[in-house]
Amino acid sequence: MSLGASNTEYVSARVRARKAALFTDEDYRKLVRMGPSGIARFMEESEYEREINELGARFSGVDLIEHALNRNLAKHFGDLLEWSEGRLYDLIARYLRKFDVWNIKTIIRGIYTGTPAEEFQTDLIRAGELDDATLDRLLEVESIEDVVELLDGTTYAEPLEDAREEFEETNTLVPLENALDREFYVHLLDDLGRPQEGPEAKYVEFLQAEIDFRNARNALRLARSGADLDPASYYIEGGVLFDESELNQLVANPDELVDHIADSKRYGNRLSEALSRLRDADSLIQFEHAIDAALLEYADMLSSIHPTSVSAVLSYILAKEREVENIRAIARGREVGLSESEIEEELVIQ
Amino acid sequence: MMEELVLATETVLQNGTTEEAPFLTDSGAAALAVGLSALAAGYAERGIGAAAVGAIAEDDDLFVPGLIMTVLPETLVIFALVVVFVI
Repeated sequence: MSLGASNTEYVSARVRARKAALFTDEDYRKLVRMGPSGIARFMEESEYEREINELGARFSGVDLIEHALNRNLAKHFGDLLEWSEGRLYDLIARYLRKFDVWNIKTIIRGIYTGTPAEEFQTDLIRAGELDDATLDRLLEVESIEDVVELLDGTTYAEPLEDAREEFEETNTLVPLENALDREFYVHLLDDLGRPQEGPEAKYVEFLQAEIDFRNARNALRLARSGADLDPASYYIEGGVLFDESELNQLVANPDELVDHIADSKRYGNRLSEALSRLRDADSLIQFEHAIDAALLEYADMLSSIHPTSVSAVLSYILAKEREVENIRAIARGREVGLSESEIEEELVIQ
Repeated sequence: MMEELVLATETVLQNGTTEEAPFLTDSGAAALAVGLSALAAGYAERGIGAAAVGAIAEDDDLFVPGLIMTVLPETLVIFALVVVFVI
């Protein structure tokens, strides 16, 4: 843990300025009507100018958009870590480790499918705590065993090592990916305790909300897929909404699951609108988008309770991620020829 | 030798006869008020200044509003200066 005073005011001022520069509803409406090259041009005139120019010579079309988005995301989140000091750094880094998990997963998947590293290295989002040198070395290795060895000294080595046996037995990636996710979520909350008030209490509250929603989403996916998997192996501890046995029961009945969320004191009132959308949603994708929107709303609400605190940063991280995913959805949607209304359904706009 | 003794007794006696000086005179207290308020203004400006520099880093146009916001807590010191003139 890094010591020293935090510079919360500085970071939240910068973050708010950047959040204001994100694309608005209006921009999305314009983007939905454009083709891939139009989107790239639009991006060139916005926040993404530098990335589009840098990558313009090497890629084109949707690939260009996607790589520019990833690179821009990494730049912005790298900035966050660069600006922040002390306790604030600690809290932000903790959350951004999810990109470490994403990167390791991408690399493991690449190795598993035998894809050459050049093809997936641009999918990495270099925003987490693993430095560039480590990631580059990880890109060069050829077996999952070596990945684990390279990660020695990080928190991921041990859970991966434990999961490797199961992976070798079943030859599926699920145990490895689960181990990584779990490691991330477990470390999110450890040593934070349960502060009762102040910004840090809100931070914990937000992380609990994220874990709760992640559990709810996993439960729904399991319920819909009908696969005979043990829900307990997907359960992430630390949330307040479900405990393990409750989740097992609720997996069987999605309606009850929604009711359970609506009945909870913490989310029921605040998320009533999103929940009614959840009820109306007939496809899982809409359901998940409603959960994403609810989380976004939740983060925004927390950031207005404590304006200069880590909550503002979290709400920016979430909003930026959504923007990147929205633009990607538009670009991919246009590429495969979806209609405008179909693409609009894919977007999560607040 | 004798002189010194007289001087010493005089000093001892003086203790009983003269009034003790107050811990703080009026002007001393006013000075303390100004000093403390300056300290408070400094603390307030710490946060605002950090936020202002952050905002300016994102957008140069915010230099003037940032500067104004940063010096606003100086009014605290001016209010404390009023005390100096009142006493």
